[in-house]
Amino acid sequence: MHKIGAWMLSLRGPLIAIAIGLLAGSIAILVAGGSIAETYTEMWKGAFGSFYFFTSTLSRATPLILVAMGAAVAFRSGFFNLGAEGQMAFGGLSAALIGLHVPGPGWFVCIVAMLGGIVAGGLWSAMAGYFDVRFRVNLLITTMLLNYIASLFAGYLVTYPFKDKTGAGAMAQTQMLEHAVWLPKLFKGMTVHAGFIIAIAAVVILYVYLARSVKGYEARMLGGNPLFAVYGGVRRTSLMLTTMFASGGLAGLAGAAEVLGSQYRYIDGSFASADYAWTGIMAALLANGNPIGSAVGAFFLAALQTGGMGVELNTDVPLEIGSVIQAVLILFITVKFSWRFMRRKKRSDRRWISCLIWPCSTRRFAS
Amino acid sequence: MLLEMERITKSYGSVIANKGIDFNLKAGEVHAVVGENGAGKTTLMRILYGMEQATSGTIKLNGREARFADPKDAIGSGIGMVHQHFMLFPDFTVAENIVIGREPGAVRFDRKAAIEQVEALSKTYGIRVDPRAKVGDCPLGVQQRVEILKVLHQGAEIIILDEPTGVLTPLEVGELLEAIKKLAGMGKSFILITHKLNEVMSVADRITVLRDGEATGTLNASDTNVEELSRLMVGRELAPSTKKPANPKANVLDLRDLSLAGNGPEPALSEINLTVREGEIVGVAGISGNGQSELIQSIAGLMKPDSGTISLLGKDVTGSGARALRDAGLAHIPEDRYIWGASKAATVAETGIMGHQNRLGRYGMLRGKAMKTLVSDWVKRFSIKAGSLDNKTQNLSGGNLQKLIVARELAQNTPFLIAAEPTRGVDIGAMETIHEELLKRRAEGGAILLVSSELSEILKLSDRIVVMYEGSIAGELRVDEASEDKLSLLMAGGGVRHA
Repeated sequence: MHKIGAWMLSLRGPLIAIAIGLLAGSIAILVAGGSIAETYTEMWKGAFGSFYFFTSTLSRATPLILVAMGAAVAFRSGFFNLGAEGQMAFGGLSAALIGLHVPGPGWFVCIVAMLGGIVAGGLWSAMAGYFDVRFRVNLLITTMLLNYIASLFAGYLVTYPFKDKTGAGAMAQTQMLEHAVWLPKLFKGMTVHAGFIIAIAAVVILYVYLARSVKGYEARMLGGNPLFAVYGGVRRTSLMLTTMFASGGLAGLAGAAEVLGSQYRYIDGSFASADYAWTGIMAALLANGNPIGSAVGAFFLAALQTGGMGVELNTDVPLEIGSVIQAVLILFITVKFSWRFMRRKKRSDRRWISCLIWPCSTRRFAS
Repeated sequence: MLLEMERITKSYGSVIANKGIDFNLKAGEVHAVVGENGAGKTTLMRILYGMEQATSGTIKLNGREARFADPKDAIGSGIGMVHQHFMLFPDFTVAENIVIGREPGAVRFDRKAAIEQVEALSKTYGIRVDPRAKVGDCPLGVQQRVEILKVLHQGAEIIILDEPTGVLTPLEVGELLEAIKKLAGMGKSFILITHKLNEVMSVADRITVLRDGEATGTLNASDTNVEELSRLMVGRELAPSTKKPANPKANVLDLRDLSLAGNGPEPALSEINLTVREGEIVGVAGISGNGQSELIQSIAGLMKPDSGTISLLGKDVTGSGARALRDAGLAHIPEDRYIWGASKAATVAETGIMGHQNRLGRYGMLRGKAMKTLVSDWVKRFSIKAGSLDNKTQNLSGGNLQKLIVARELAQNTPFLIAAEPTRGVDIGAMETIHEELLKRRAEGGAILLVSSELSEILKLSDRIVVMYEGSIAGELRVDEASEDKLSLLMAGGGVRHA
């Protein structure tokens, strides 16, 4: 009973945020001259109205859940990984290139392509971790800026050396993968693919890791109070590097699954325009990095996006109504984190806290 | 008499912080208030400054009874306070910080007038500052001048300085003491709260000593000396120790020439040499902030010393991390239970098993039952009031959390234990339990480094005592030759002169 109560309490914040998001959406609908009831009905229908729409929502949720798990594992361990976009790009591109060039039976190539996506995203993310260890550069900054390098470099690769020259179009994309390499669809004629099962498995594994394992315990303690964890013998450096690898690896897997399960090639900018990375990160922040909560959040945000398309098709209210609701949620998260940041700054005269969390060059810290 | 505080009493529940204290201040006088940590100095000043309301007693200003509901009232009556931790906006200029709350200009903030006012103020009182400099860029000594000018700008006649020299370099301390004398010569009155007796002797006219919430006397500085003040500060007679004489054997911890640079020009630690042997407790006494924290953290693998070596059980562990040290045989009761000793958001069980997690693992998973059994056992033995083990750590009272941490570290059963402030904030019963456990560990051959700001604790438990002052070991005494007098004197830097 006690545990269930605590669990409900932890859901209170996100639920209030969502409620106010929907309220703000209502105002936007009124301004756009639509009917609130009709718009939300259409939104519901667009997301869940039929088996096809429902599976489309699941399909859209797949990369979001994987990215959210990546963000959550870092976040719970006290690190920020804002680099999902670049990690996804590298993961997706690696999967596409492996799928095109590695010989072997289809299922084997598919698995190797996914592992390649994990490694590519993971290494890219762990590099930011290394910069923190070696040069004390803030992860918030490195992970975010590395996005540009990754996205642009991936864009270069598919614009020049690996460009698909078979088609007539001038699209910056790789060639299409052979059918045998694709991740199978879960239902005939539906968009949701086996990547969704992998995403759910990732949620379960991450939940068990955080809640039950020794390393997960150390990670959570590091996230809760880094000084306490280090004092207790948690090796911050190695835990950070592995966590950042796992975090980026999950984002890379999201990219790989998207390539292998729905786009069948890497298309320049397609992940960024769908905003998978930032939406996934948002889902994790909304649920404070709780794996199950983050997955639910990712599903909710996916529904908001597919539902938004339903609204656009069937009412006069534009698609952006989903974005309005999402923007309000972002505002909430921002307020929550600014508040924590300010409280942390207030205590910054305790130099150890400040030095562990915010890098500074004068520190010497053994770990 | 400018200010009279009569029979001031302040209680927080059953804890009495001030017991019928009389205190007065003449115009143009520097009156120091000295006492150990927790003697009630800060409470008394918070009452005067309107931050706390006295439970009983009266305050008279120029003979008339006064009542300050909040600091604004106190400031309005000409009382200003410079806090131990400066209350400045680092991103604003010196002038902006000084005029804050009384900004010139009717609607728009008149920056030029502010600078002129500050320049005039600076000239009148001979306290030099650059009004245009950003406060964050100023050294701490200058920031303190800004604080003092801010108080003067508010029109203060009585200026309270709370531990003003704690963060200053010796040169800055000298400048501050000069400034105090000069301002007192111009008719301003100062209340100086400190425990640095040398400074008190060089600047104060009168000195009031507080001990355990009571005023033990007010003396003229010219009639007293550092020794007498230490005795008054500490006061009580030492209870005879019941422990058996130590029978120390092999070296467990060996520090050689350990040095560590500080934030300022003064080193945090300079050439510390220290040994702790099997079956002995070595006490480290000192006023907090004299390098004890850095010493503890260097030994525990939480800071890397700049030079010198640390060996544990004959193995060189200099520069090893906390994990390696724990594996090598160290357990550590940290000095601050919230910064180092716990995670507030974690459950009691989670805070409890820190350091034991690898032992509790099987195939990489935590054994939930073994974890609960272990922590429940401590809860019983130390009568920790924790409620459920699934409660959040932040819901434990400070004393109960302290007991949990002590139990956790004792359960490591390591040859070496750092016990930093092991009984801070616990009740008397728990204090006895913790002391007995430490002595038991010693009898079993454990080596313990005890760091405490409680002299009585140091004297009760230690076999040898070292006193730290400004990052160095100011003296080492066997417990049978140590007394609170001698230690207080060394702690206040009084011994350094004669040495």
